[in-house]
Amino acid sequence: MSKGFASNPRQILLATIVLASFVGVGARLVWLHVIDRDALLRFVSQARYKIEPLPGRRGDILDANGAKLATSRSLIILAVDPQSLRKEDEAKWPQLAALIGMNPSELARIFNTKTRPVASTSAQNIERNGVSAPKSATFAYNVTPSDATAPIPASDSETENSDDEDEAPDAAGNRAIRFAKLSESITESTFTSIKQLNIKGVIGQRVYRRAYPNNSIASHIIGYVDRTERPVTGIERYADFYLHGLNGWLESEKDGKREELAQFRTRQVPAADGYSVKLSIDSVVQQIVDEELAAIAAKYEPEKATIIVSDPRTGFILALGNYPSFDLNTYNKLTKEEQGRMRNIAVSDMYEPGSVFKIVAVAGALNEGLVNAGSTFDCTSDSIEYRGKTRKLPREDHNFDHRLTVSEIVAHSSNRGAAQLAMAMGDDRFYGYARAFGFGQLTGFPNLGIESPGMLASPKKWDGLTITRMPMGHSIAATPLQMHQAMTVIASGGVMMRPSIIRQVLDSSGEVVYRFDRREGDRVVSERTAQTVARMLQGVASKEGTAPEAAIKDYDVAGKTGTSQKIVNGRYSEREHVVSFVGFLPANQPRLVISVIVDGADKNCPGGVAYGSKVAAPSFKRVAEQLIRHLDIKPVEPLSPVAPGPKKPASRLALKGSRQ
Amino acid sequence: MSTAPVVPPLARQLINPAALIAVCCIGLTILGLTILFSASASFKQGPYYYLNKQILGVFLAGGLCFIASRINLDYARRYSWWIAGIALFLLVLVLIPGLGISVKGSRRWLGLGPVRLQVSEFAKLALVFCLSHYLALNQTRIGELVRGYLVPLALIGAFVGLIVLEPDFGTAALALVVGLTLLFLAGAKWRYIVPTVGLAISFFAVMVIHNPNRLRRFVAFLDVEGNKQGGTYQLYQALAAYAAGGTGGAGLGQGRQQLNFLPEAHTDFIFAVVGEELGLWFTLGVVAVFATIFIAGLVHLRRAPNLFHFLLVTGCLMLICLQSIVNLGVVTGVFPTKGMSLPFISAGLSNLLLMGLLVGIILNTQRTWGRAVLAEKSRSMREVLG
Repeated sequence: MSKGFASNPRQILLATIVLASFVGVGARLVWLHVIDRDALLRFVSQARYKIEPLPGRRGDILDANGAKLATSRSLIILAVDPQSLRKEDEAKWPQLAALIGMNPSELARIFNTKTRPVASTSAQNIERNGVSAPKSATFAYNVTPSDATAPIPASDSETENSDDEDEAPDAAGNRAIRFAKLSESITESTFTSIKQLNIKGVIGQRVYRRAYPNNSIASHIIGYVDRTERPVTGIERYADFYLHGLNGWLESEKDGKREELAQFRTRQVPAADGYSVKLSIDSVVQQIVDEELAAIAAKYEPEKATIIVSDPRTGFILALGNYPSFDLNTYNKLTKEEQGRMRNIAVSDMYEPGSVFKIVAVAGALNEGLVNAGSTFDCTSDSIEYRGKTRKLPREDHNFDHRLTVSEIVAHSSNRGAAQLAMAMGDDRFYGYARAFGFGQLTGFPNLGIESPGMLASPKKWDGLTITRMPMGHSIAATPLQMHQAMTVIASGGVMMRPSIIRQVLDSSGEVVYRFDRREGDRVVSERTAQTVARMLQGVASKEGTAPEAAIKDYDVAGKTGTSQKIVNGRYSEREHVVSFVGFLPANQPRLVISVIVDGADKNCPGGVAYGSKVAAPSFKRVAEQLIRHLDIKPVEPLSPVAPGPKKPASRLALKGSRQ
Repeated sequence: MSTAPVVPPLARQLINPAALIAVCCIGLTILGLTILFSASASFKQGPYYYLNKQILGVFLAGGLCFIASRINLDYARRYSWWIAGIALFLLVLVLIPGLGISVKGSRRWLGLGPVRLQVSEFAKLALVFCLSHYLALNQTRIGELVRGYLVPLALIGAFVGLIVLEPDFGTAALALVVGLTLLFLAGAKWRYIVPTVGLAISFFAVMVIHNPNRLRRFVAFLDVEGNKQGGTYQLYQALAAYAAGGTGGAGLGQGRQQLNFLPEAHTDFIFAVVGEELGLWFTLGVVAVFATIFIAGLVHLRRAPNLFHFLLVTGCLMLICLQSIVNLGVVTGVFPTKGMSLPFISAGLSNLLLMGLLVGIILNTQRTWGRAVLAEKSRSMREVLG
């Protein structure tokens, strides 16, 4: 540097500073490119790596005719990222509000809420993590893997869920909201119009949502899944193995806006849709049952009621309804007190079956050859000698002026007669028949671990009166389905037909993958015994029987009433009863077994006492008459019924007369 | 006093420091176009939008470079105050709402038909030009407080002040530093310069502390990694780009940081894309090329015929090199984030045109300094001074 235009030291100083800066930048580059590389690369891969679950669709639950009882709909969760909104889009907000049916001012509030305090976010996280422990099957196109476990609709709260915890809180301790939910149920077509509005920051996430088209119909059977698609009850849970889809995933890279870079996709595992499950439930039958339950509820305001309809030839359940019931689509709206509505009373609640249980003593004694239909018993004395001790017999509801045949014991529902039949068998054999008819054990019906086995004590634990009380259905507790199952044994000709409900498993294209057969158990009584009992049970629904209300013109109805006192505060109550009618038809070629059990109907009954014949039998008849039309059941030429009284011809004529 | 032009040998015409500078700049421009194509390929405007604009800009800059290399600087020197006046007028004009185009709160651009020009870019050159003229005129009175210091300082202050009003702190600071450098090299007294620099630093410190937004950005900068989820997220993405590139680079077109991770991937942060796609050797190469430009400039300056030429070329050189240092410092996380483009490489018309002018002036001096400049100069000086 010559010529002295500037002093050399000044030039050198300047040159040194500039060159040193270049060297400094060079050194910094070496640091970033090489030395600090690994730490920075971790950040890079974290920012770029994207794993996206591909949801497998959960299979449908179908009724016997293929109608959808539960299905999965593809919906779009609409949300907004308030940070990316543009001023010029503001004019379109009301249009969006109209499309999603939201109040425009509410929409504006969500759009303008840009931050939330950090503290509340962390609290929400805890709650959210608690709720969403099992991985959600819902997914989002725009979220990172860590987000997918927690964020989207995992919690039931309607508050904004953030899918972006990357944002650091600002100085005031507020965290920027990047995901505020607007609606959870946008259809594809609505979403298309929303996209046409082209509002920046409004995003959609495709999810499958479970829907129950029939609301409360067969709700206890179908069950439901929670918002994370986790099955909770019913077939949803029992058949989850078949129903649940297998999620696929793709591993890829994403750009700074979290959008996938398909060219860097490293792995794609396609999702597999779940199988559909076809039930034996017939929606029409179920509807008839539910309507009858509604009628019972309106008329008697009972505590609870159950109607079960099945086919005795296979054991398949055609309908099962409980009152109270609930709507599957709004199960989460039930208050804590109302949660009991979700209980499947038919399998989870026990009651003393009362007189219906007499079929066990009658069938047992007949099957053992100890008695025949014409054997007579003295039912007038109030005590009897059994195993060297005098046992007090239960009271009768009627006074009998003659010795009763076995048929009459059934037709008139004699408590003392049933006790004597059981005594004829003895403790152990009677207990053995009770077990064989399915009491005291689970039916194996798919109800997911909350099925009650009922209560049937073994003879060792019996006291002196048990042998006199159990035959009339006291000192024993059964579920409605167990009683129904026991009656099915008679209807099926003496063979245990386990109640079943799943008929077929279908793949997503509708091909049958697996077909379930009837679950046939052991033979309980001989076919002849079953037919004899069936004929005796026909007498119940006759003029001489206890439940002429159940008789149907042109059809032979076999069945048994039951009226048992409820145990209130440890004592049998005089005022509260469980009433039932369990029967089948046509009697000698049964197509249907129907159980009607109503608990606590007394207060709306004449005299304040409910009887099976007055409350349950008419319901049985109404349901049966509708089912005869629906299922096109033809009258069957009757076998000669076993007459309830000694004057056999007369009674038979009387029965025939009533049929005409 | 011979007026016959001394024609330098052909070798001297081709191989000289200024030619080296020109080659370096052409090389950087070509690299810039290549990386720009890669950096903006995924932009929503389409892969060729910025590339086409930049190629057009390169041709315009080449034209300006040619013109600047042909004009008679000593003749142009007569219009120094006109140049300064027009530049200051435009700087005022750009501040008027409706005339100046505002982007993100800064009113920096003047619309000129389809193009927008950033007035402050050209104002920097105008400042260097007229400051060089003034200091050369007053080189014997440089020790005086008023004529040797306060007046040139006021000149600098006028430019810097107007640029601050836009606001464009990066450009203002650059203009201030280049102006003070010229003052310093012209021989201003230490006892004037030191307090001025102190004042300038305190002024910028007050500006930073006064504005919470700016302060937060500055504080966040002090801990880039700790704040990577917040204020320095985007800077951290740039730093990550170098790591992703490593020594060898990911390969042209293989970079991903420009895919919405990096802010301004095609302009201010384009160097990070170079780092990811081409790796350490290329980034070091870019730094080395800028350093080469600086060193070649220093060598070239040894032949400067007078203080005006010396200061003018020094100013041009500083405008190129300081701007590159600031940009490189920002995008490697050494300086706090400040909008400043990387000369020759970043997309952006105004800066490209300025660079064309600066290189043109340097080439101009290479052509004229070899001749009997002094004779010419003495004539023109008489004209200038009347």
